[in-house]
Amino acid sequence: MSLTHLNARGEAHMVDVADKPESRREASASGRIRMLPETLALLAEGGLPKGDVLATARIAGIQAAKRTHELIPLCHALALSKVAIDFTLDEAESCVEVTATCRLNGRTGVEMEALTAVSVACLTLYDMCKAVDKGMEIEAIRLDAKTGGKSGDYRRGAAAEASGGAAVVTGAEGPIVTGEGHGGQVVVGSRCEIASPCIRVKCLAELRERLGVGELSVPLSELERPDVGGLKAALKALDPRFTGLEEGRVLCAVNQVMAGDSTPITDDDEVAFFPPVTGG
Amino acid sequence: MVHEPLIRVQEAPFDAGAEQSALLAGRTDIGAVVSFTGLVRDFNERPEVTALTLEHYPGMTESALEAIVAEARGRWDLDGVRVIHRIGRLTPGDPIVLVAVASAHRRAAFEACDFIMDYLKTRAPFWKKEHAQEGDYWVSERHSDHEDAGRWKT
Repeated sequence: MSLTHLNARGEAHMVDVADKPESRREASASGRIRMLPETLALLAEGGLPKGDVLATARIAGIQAAKRTHELIPLCHALALSKVAIDFTLDEAESCVEVTATCRLNGRTGVEMEALTAVSVACLTLYDMCKAVDKGMEIEAIRLDAKTGGKSGDYRRGAAAEASGGAAVVTGAEGPIVTGEGHGGQVVVGSRCEIASPCIRVKCLAELRERLGVGELSVPLSELERPDVGGLKAALKALDPRFTGLEEGRVLCAVNQVMAGDSTPITDDDEVAFFPPVTGG
Repeated sequence: MVHEPLIRVQEAPFDAGAEQSALLAGRTDIGAVVSFTGLVRDFNERPEVTALTLEHYPGMTESALEAIVAEARGRWDLDGVRVIHRIGRLTPGDPIVLVAVASAHRRAAFEACDFIMDYLKTRAPFWKKEHAQEGDYWVSERHSDHEDAGRWKT
């Protein structure tokens, strides 16, 4: 193992990534800010003087992820395809847990972006709450998982168990994303307004790689007919890549049960498209 | 006493012998156990397959396998069923899938094991990507698998 940011003479330099293959990269990081129980209660009620604390911290985290290269000297500027920041209010520990997930299809990892997003979201939480609580502590900012790239996958905790080399990410949530042979997967992202009826769409396996789309959300209102056929039409109107849904045999499941074009779809349904199965 | 079917989707290898022993543990009423293990081959659509990666659809995979086992139990009188399917990266020689079926009589055990494998191959949401010398490719569905599964239509 060597430090890639140091050259042969031990000087800092930026790694040339021009010749590295593109692959789908994802990293998630977490951290927390401890506060007085009264502060947490005020935060939960929205009773803090600076207004909606979590919404502000979320935007701060997203902005920070996009500007990581301006803050960390040897980081490349990246066109992130997704940044998601989540907050969990933990009353038992009297803290706010912050998690950030960054994703892109590119030549360099997004760990620094996820860590920066968590850090700045935590700092923003501090700023928003400091009027009532100056003793808050930001702690345990760390990388939880990363996938993609030459150095392999990593998951916190799994590293110790692996018999050597990089740990393999376990598929506890989300599908196991396969090798780097075909890149080009991009998350189109959520097109849904918060609280409006929405469908969660997944493309799996070969179809995900062929279309270059993993997951996206589609507002129910974009469907002319609230069924699978209507969803396919809406997807094709949204992005020409989805004409690929008509090429070859493509199967569909609504809420994990096999479905056809006439299967009805309602708010918050999970609709998966995938090629014929090849297990066993 | 009827054992609950045991269905697992996991990255870790399994020991077919140990799984079969567990299926039979404490039982003296079982007269037959049939156990099938599928392995990774080093040739398939292309020669020199160096590895394969199995992707699945978490949640749906488990419910699809449960439905297949439930259908087998409806057709045959079974004393125990165990289905294990691996996911992630596997190399030639690695076990991929185990189906073990126990019954009072051999015919039910043979047929139910055959049936579960045929339905698993055509209904459970797993996908194989093979890594060969010339590159990676997704495995295509096989017509013969559908013909095999069609045998059980009554």
